[in-house]
Amino acid sequence: MRNGTKMLLLTAIVLAGAACLLFRGAEGTNAAPALAATDSGAPAAMVLFPVSNQPNSGAMGMKPVVFNHKLHESTVQECESCHHTGDPVACSSCHTVEGKKDGNFVTLDRAMHADNIIQRKGARTPQSCVSCHEKRYTERRECSGCHAVVTPKRDAAWCAVCHTGVEGMSATQTADALAGKMDPDVNEALAQQAVDSKKPVQYADPGAMALKVKIGTLVDKYEANVFNHARHVNSIMKRISGDKLAQAFHSTRETLCQTCHHHSPASVTPPKCVSCHAPGIDKQNPGRPPLKAAYHLQCMGCHDGMNVKRPAKTDCTGCHKERVAQKGGSK
Amino acid sequence: MNRRKFLAFLGSASVVTAAGVTTTATPAKAGVHTFPYYPESYGVLHDTTRCVGCRRCEQACNIVNKLPKPEKPFTDTSVCETRRRTSAKQWTVVNKYTMNGKPVFRKLQCFHCNDPACASACFAKCFTKQPDGSVQYDGTQCVGCRYCMIACPFYAPGFQYDEAWDPLVQKCTFCKPRLDKNELPGCVEACPMEALTFGRRTDLIKVARARIASNPEKYLDYIYGEHDAGGTAWMVLAPANPKGPKVPPENPALAGPELKQLGLDTHLGNQPMGELTYGALGAVPMIVSFWPVLFGGAWAMTKRREAMYKAEQEKTVREAREDVTAAVDAVVRKIQETEGDGAADRARKAMAEALKARDDAAAKHGEDA
Repeated sequence: MRNGTKMLLLTAIVLAGAACLLFRGAEGTNAAPALAATDSGAPAAMVLFPVSNQPNSGAMGMKPVVFNHKLHESTVQECESCHHTGDPVACSSCHTVEGKKDGNFVTLDRAMHADNIIQRKGARTPQSCVSCHEKRYTERRECSGCHAVVTPKRDAAWCAVCHTGVEGMSATQTADALAGKMDPDVNEALAQQAVDSKKPVQYADPGAMALKVKIGTLVDKYEANVFNHARHVNSIMKRISGDKLAQAFHSTRETLCQTCHHHSPASVTPPKCVSCHAPGIDKQNPGRPPLKAAYHLQCMGCHDGMNVKRPAKTDCTGCHKERVAQKGGSK
Repeated sequence: MNRRKFLAFLGSASVVTAAGVTTTATPAKAGVHTFPYYPESYGVLHDTTRCVGCRRCEQACNIVNKLPKPEKPFTDTSVCETRRRTSAKQWTVVNKYTMNGKPVFRKLQCFHCNDPACASACFAKCFTKQPDGSVQYDGTQCVGCRYCMIACPFYAPGFQYDEAWDPLVQKCTFCKPRLDKNELPGCVEACPMEALTFGRRTDLIKVARARIASNPEKYLDYIYGEHDAGGTAWMVLAPANPKGPKVPPENPALAGPELKQLGLDTHLGNQPMGELTYGALGAVPMIVSFWPVLFGGAWAMTKRREAMYKAEQEKTVREAREDVTAAVDAVVRKIQETEGDGAADRARKAMAEALKARDDAAAKHGEDA
């Protein structure tokens, strides 16, 4: 099985190399302007400003969103996924800050963020940005492991992933945009500049982390488990390496670490599990799993989410070797 | 006293008796119950979303309680497929259920009710709710009627059917001996997933609520056992249906169909089972107090009837004897008139002898004079 995976990987690498050689010229031209014309003819990128029913509400609660239309178009494929009426118009033409009749009084906020959308019967169920992103990270295997354990916290950093604002936009341009009078070409140019300047976060180097971790909590019954830390980290990083959604939302270099090393400040040298999870009952924190359960809940939670079939959850010796009797271990 | 009056009397008497009897089963004062009875009592929260069906709890239970070795080893998880019940030899079992198409495992054992139905049904008072939260069984007075097994809404107690002499009821003891030594119950300690969380019942309810609140997609918003059957020390959290509509919080009617798939009944109500039966069962000991009156009355009536019969008989005999004496006198007088005094004396004597001989013969045959 493992050999098979290796073979597949090797083949993939070879093919990728060949593709690189073949299309080097094309890639070279792509590098400078990241955005070319979209298939649909829509602007490749745009800055989304809140649109109000009032002529100029003046206030703007959130920073505007830079939306990479080309990227979304190529990933989602179907225009109707987002343009749910079938008419490819701007979201804010129906969904305004206050909501209006054309949009069935669904506000702009809900149209972008709703994650509890009722399934329509016999008609297309509209999606919001958030609901579609959620679906992607819960349905795809490479994401669903960690995201079975971790639900993204909706804090300021989470908002700031999309609500980036545009650097170098003048006050008059902002006022124009809020009044809905910004020239689409200027808008696209600003957005393109923001998209180009955006660089994905470099994850922490797996080589600098623990390679193997020896877990000996159950040594009275089983041999200590040697957890291959590096293999787990590498495998996850490799699986999501090309994923734009992951790149956008995994916004710090330690984000990936925080699935397992949760609740402690993000760090490449996090505290050990036992610092918080006592081996026995913890009277101060009755809801906190003891050490043994903490390990099992994390390992199995992720494996479950990724639909890892082996080792079976009930097969103790799949991870912990049975302790040999003559070694003097108590039964 | 007519029938209606008698029943009314019995009813009111039973209420009075029940008030006295309930003190054994419910430490609270008779009257309105308030929960929990023992605020410091312990419980266990069984989170079925965490249970993987490894049967370590069954194994631990078997070892710490020195139960007989089962036919199949505890590593064989295929037995979870059948809906097993707890028995005298298995105080806890883990069964596999299918909830909305997904396998969910649930551990079955005594729920250690706040106000146990088994205790209310037992007329030998074998069951007691302990301040630590456990429901204890003391078999010294057990008569083997198995009313407790019928009363239990969770079918927890098992009976030693293969025990020829003094078979007893057997059920989870909440590992009382271990609790007394400040140790966790065997199953809780063995659980690798913390699917069983031990703690004060009041804390566990908070823990359960926190888990539901932090993961509303994952959990059904219902703590089974918080109020069911009047509240139980062991409580169960169930997974939510990911595709179905969201069940509103703490709604037994709407959570019912979900929990039914997990073999849990939400129709037990939030009233302790015992409260339904204390009145009627409280009258049972009172029947014993009726016995002297009942049997004394029957005895007195029989005696009286006997005395009346005897008096009647004596009267008849006396009358008959008086008749005979009068006839003898008349005969003797007639003889005296016709035959003279000597003949009369002889006749009287002869007749007296004849009567005496007849009486003697009758006495010899056992007849009363």
